[in-house]
Amino acid sequence: MGIKKDYDNTGITSENRAADMAADRERAVKAGRLDYPFVAFVLLIVFVGLVMVYSTSAYRGMELFGDSAYFAKRQLVFAVSAIIIAYFVSKADYRVIAKYSKLILIISMVLLILVYIIGTASHGSARWLYIGPFGFQPSECAKVALIIYTAAACTAHTKSLNSVKGIVKIMLLPIVAIILIAIENLSTAIICFAIVFIILFISSPKTWYFIVLALIGVAGCGLFIAFAGYRADRIRIWLAPEKYPDGYQTMQSLYAIGSGGIFGRGLGNSIQKMGFIPESHNDMIFSVICEELGIFGAVCIIGLFVALIKRCTVIAMNAGDRLGGLLVSGVMAHIAVQLIINISVVTNTIPPTGVTLPFISYGGSSIVFILIEMGLVLSVARRMKPAG
Amino acid sequence: MKLYSFNRRRIFIVFLCMLGAGLFLTGRLAYLMIYQSEHYTMLADSLHERERSIKAPRGRIYDRNGNILADNRAVCSISVIHSQIEDEEEVISALLTYLDTDEEKVRTKVTKNSSREIIAVNVEKSLADEIRELNISGIKVDEDYKRYYPYGSLASKVLGFTGADNQGIVGLEVSYDDVLSGTDGSINAVTDAKGIELVEFSESRVNPIPGKDLVTSIDLNIQRYATQAALKVMEEKNANRVCIIIMNPQNGEVYAMVDVPEYDLNNPFELNYEANVTEDNQMDLLNNMWRNFNISDTYEPGSTCKIVTLTSALESGAVTKENTFYCPGYKMIEDRRIRCHKTTGHGSETLVEALMNSCNPAFMEIGERTGAETLYEYYGKLGLFEKTGIDLPGEGSSIMHKLEDIGPVELATMSFGQSFQITPIQFITAISTVINGGNKITPHIGIRFIDSESQESNVLEYPVINNAIKESTSNTVREMLESVVSEGSGSKAALPGYRIGGKTATSEKLPRGTGLYISSFIGFAPADNPQVIGIILIDEPEGVYYGGTIAAPVIRDIFSNILPYLGIEAEEIPETDTEQ
Repeated sequence: MGIKKDYDNTGITSENRAADMAADRERAVKAGRLDYPFVAFVLLIVFVGLVMVYSTSAYRGMELFGDSAYFAKRQLVFAVSAIIIAYFVSKADYRVIAKYSKLILIISMVLLILVYIIGTASHGSARWLYIGPFGFQPSECAKVALIIYTAAACTAHTKSLNSVKGIVKIMLLPIVAIILIAIENLSTAIICFAIVFIILFISSPKTWYFIVLALIGVAGCGLFIAFAGYRADRIRIWLAPEKYPDGYQTMQSLYAIGSGGIFGRGLGNSIQKMGFIPESHNDMIFSVICEELGIFGAVCIIGLFVALIKRCTVIAMNAGDRLGGLLVSGVMAHIAVQLIINISVVTNTIPPTGVTLPFISYGGSSIVFILIEMGLVLSVARRMKPAG
Repeated sequence: MKLYSFNRRRIFIVFLCMLGAGLFLTGRLAYLMIYQSEHYTMLADSLHERERSIKAPRGRIYDRNGNILADNRAVCSISVIHSQIEDEEEVISALLTYLDTDEEKVRTKVTKNSSREIIAVNVEKSLADEIRELNISGIKVDEDYKRYYPYGSLASKVLGFTGADNQGIVGLEVSYDDVLSGTDGSINAVTDAKGIELVEFSESRVNPIPGKDLVTSIDLNIQRYATQAALKVMEEKNANRVCIIIMNPQNGEVYAMVDVPEYDLNNPFELNYEANVTEDNQMDLLNNMWRNFNISDTYEPGSTCKIVTLTSALESGAVTKENTFYCPGYKMIEDRRIRCHKTTGHGSETLVEALMNSCNPAFMEIGERTGAETLYEYYGKLGLFEKTGIDLPGEGSSIMHKLEDIGPVELATMSFGQSFQITPIQFITAISTVINGGNKITPHIGIRFIDSESQESNVLEYPVINNAIKESTSNTVREMLESVVSEGSGSKAALPGYRIGGKTATSEKLPRGTGLYISSFIGFAPADNPQVIGIILIDEPEGVYYGGTIAAPVIRDIFSNILPYLGIEAEEIPETDTEQ
């Protein structure tokens, strides 16, 4: 597929294309070095994640497979593979990848449809595709595809960003993808929507559109909780988890967090992971971190994430071009939104929903795709403007 | 294409928003982990901890010389923990193999989804160890104590026994339950969600506080001897029951309290006689068997109660030692002719002679002179209206006429111990007051507690009312009672070398005319300074039923053994002197 055809597909005019290409050539920088601070933050978080997966899954691994390191070993394999993949992604030119953005999104949408046809149910929702022994979640792939597609579209259709019609046009395909995700996994759909929303907000010169949209969203949520909330199980659990049997997970999470105190019970000493928090190495891993490491450890980990997101911000703001800046912004939005939702859920700040803690929760697809995103950030960082 | 500055600004705005959210969540974490930490830690701990109680050993019960009357034996309780059971059938079959229980019951308990079900208690330690060694998950063996009474049925009605949870059910085990039972300790073990204990977490342990030991006034040897004597006379006279109390009249310490037939304290739920037991009457029969007649039941004291009439009369000055009485064999009270046991009459007699003869007309006369009101005043002073306060549960109350209901007939019958009922313990306490110089004492069994760890002891105190009656009256009555034994109706209680006082009684049981009697005797020694007082009641003896004939010799036998034992030596008096 040629460049020209691709540009045609995105519906860009030839003048624009010519101008873009000129600008690209002007700013083209030679592939530079790895962004070491960023790499350090990522590796540190991945390492913490491995340690915590081992700590939280040892009991369950022992129980199910007679091997306390069962889950940790698998996660190590995933993490190492993901790091290798990320390295190659960082070597690639993001601008070339972006040229295939539509194709990538369409493939991931096909996978999303496929999951409903041949997918394997886990926790009552069909979310998994199996390639040999490895499960694969198309929704994780869709997040990356959405970041790339939205960033590429907002780079290609700068003018569309001035009108509601243009913005709707850019959002058309992403919205279809998000709806496909939402059928089975509302929380991932919300994250995806937030990513798309943030990229559009950053790239569009219009402010009020987004503020109005955000206000409508907030008001909608408020009205829903006020009038229909008592009917929705999740809202009911959120408001009074101790009163309902299905508030069990939330209460267990709060017990874990609350009993952590300042310095926690010590690494490996969580009791809540002993079967009280179901699958504590997954979505609820942060509560065990709090229990074992206390608020001290929790703040350290949040601090690492803040440092990583701050580094993303710096890379985005100094990206060699618009595409790079928007790509990194999308990645930043992804990490930040998912982190915030995860911590909000375990602390019962928002109604319960299943969202993994990026880099740390156990799971192959989530760590592979998030590290692919890191690869993209590094690819952008290699072509950063020299000044910070 | 370039990134405009407004794009950069927006990236930074997004970052700031995210940072804001992050700070808010950090605040939320701080609230949960610092401010609410205690609350959630407590909730979490109570979720994780399984409390196992450690039984406090129950205090022992000793006799006055340090012999153990009630001891503990290590036993075990077997329970199942549902969440830990792996193979229900294996658990059920193991329990059925080792324990003597009903399959249906065990099955219900094993399959019931509860945290813990107790299958059996008081399992012998060796058997429990075998079960423990099977190492079947879900079966829990806990150490426990079971009460053990080394002397079987000895003093059964005094000691009482304990139930499945080692709680006192009757007797001293009830009255001193709080002190004997101690405080159970506990082990708080941390468990996982299935309730399996996590060895890597230290258990918090609250040590049990063992119950205090109780030293009683019971003297093992006196109790044994009195029991044998009671059994002997019960057999000889084919009596229903025989009660004996041996007490120190000076301070109220009970040396022995017998109520045969006694029951086996180690098998208290087994009737001590053949009976047609149904579910309805089982509890009644058991309660009856456990009942301590000495303190719970009332009887008409009969002639022994003439001591009380005499004391009231002397104390109030209604009669003096010098008064003489005439007995024609009866006395007319209103239109009724109340007869003396000697129908031919005692003729003219002094006060002492009237007591020695146990002459009813003379005592009706004494009662009449004293008057109901004064008589009741002294009944009150001697404690016949109230419970004695003995440290045993289930003490009965006396049954008395209302003062305003007492007419001449009632007064006359009361004067020789009829038409009212008191308990044996009330009576021996009243007579102790009469003979000990006039001090009203509280009969008791508990003497002191001993802390089994610190060996510290607390001596128990009981109320004493000094000079309830005048010492001079006490002396006079004592002398007169000595005459009853040395020369009068109580002569069968006489013991060479000892000065013994006493009084006999033969009371016909209610309703009258059935030919059923309670023969009794109350005696004390030495008569001039009483150190020991004893009462015997023989319920429904066959054949000769006179108290003086069948009851007095029992007390004499007991005294002949226990007086030297208590260090009261016989006086070396020439044969000829004692004959007088």
